[in-house]
Amino acid sequence: MTSSTAPRYEFRIFGNNLDLYENKINEISEKKQTRQMDSVYLLTPWKRKNNVKIREGVMDIKLLEQEDAGLEQWSPFLVGKFPLNADVIKTVVFPALGIESPVFSRQKYRLDQFIAEVVSIDPDLAVAYVWKTRHAYIVNECITEIAEIVVNGASIKTICIEHEDPGKVIEAKALIGIDESTENVNYPRALKRIMGLVKLPDDWNNINF
Amino acid sequence: MTKEKMKIGEISKPRFEFRTFGRDFSDAGYLMSRLSVPVPQKVWERTSEETYIISRTNDVNNTKIRNGKMDIKTFVQEVDGLEQWNPLMKGEFPMKSEILKNEVFPAFKVEMPDLENKEYALDEFLQMVKDHPDLLAVTVEKERFGYMINDTICEYANVWINGAMIVTVNSESTEIDDIKKTIKDLDLEGVENINYLQAAKRVVGMIDKKLVN
Repeated sequence: MTSSTAPRYEFRIFGNNLDLYENKINEISEKKQTRQMDSVYLLTPWKRKNNVKIREGVMDIKLLEQEDAGLEQWSPFLVGKFPLNADVIKTVVFPALGIESPVFSRQKYRLDQFIAEVVSIDPDLAVAYVWKTRHAYIVNECITEIAEIVVNGASIKTICIEHEDPGKVIEAKALIGIDESTENVNYPRALKRIMGLVKLPDDWNNINF
Repeated sequence: MTKEKMKIGEISKPRFEFRTFGRDFSDAGYLMSRLSVPVPQKVWERTSEETYIISRTNDVNNTKIRNGKMDIKTFVQEVDGLEQWNPLMKGEFPMKSEILKNEVFPAFKVEMPDLENKEYALDEFLQMVKDHPDLLAVTVEKERFGYMINDTICEYANVWINGAMIVTVNSESTEIDDIKKTIKDLDLEGVENINYLQAAKRVVGMIDKKLVN
């Protein structure tokens, strides 16, 4: 398991009407690149806050290091490309998910075997299939992203600001016009809300969350 | 026998329905807007917020709650790929536990929870749903645009399932041939008929199957 980058502080929001912020980002920055990718998120109904996903066939875990000033600091680890050893799934993936590891019948798992034989039959695990179109910008030296995502076939948008220095993220938020009271919502939380694994916020019907 | 003339907003005999879900039905939406006869202003644009109760073990009863009122429809038959649903029960919260025991939970086709109270308020009922491993409450917002084509009631709608957006188009009528003609006119021939229950189950991951696009 290797750390892919230094831990970054992150602020992220989801919604279907983020035009105000998108317009501001486009006004103060230029789009650097657009990438498309699929991800399979593994979710549990529990309050475990780690982010466990398989992106382009690679198991990728982000550990939540700390929350500070409304930001979350995430430490990413690339666990490895499928096929994965059962031992790695048992000692790295399941502890990150916060649920008990099952008994494995294979020594190595291809991705399809892992989904069909391990994930799908586990009553504590849910899967979200996510397709992302990610547009990258730089705002106040922060990596800033506007992305259109499709979760199990339904559309929503997300904007994310991240940097190793939390002060820069807070300044970027202000430049984009994101209010201090706006909730920081990470991917697992948003996906759990869409999939009904956790309660929607009381003001869910304002569409953004 | 003369066929029944469909009127928007009026009760008719049980209707057949074609409905589908995806992310882009802009072509069908455009055709609807051009092919429709004028419709009453009250159905031009309607919004609503509802809670659907979905059950892992049931695909034949469709339960939704709007403004504290519960409405369960039951699947009757499928003819030529079109579905016919009939009202099964209507009730209001607070709801007597007898009704929950005899009508509501049997419709979910899940194990009956203990019903200790005489009646249940909506939030108490939703808590029971939350605690039940085979049930899920799904919040659904709708922005519906009504049309009338070939004497069938049609709509194009933006739908937010727990905040994530999909689009639906439908055509419903007592007359199967009118719906089939409408499907053809809207260039939707061969497109899968997906009802609300199925769409919600797919989005929340209860069914591992894609929407139409």
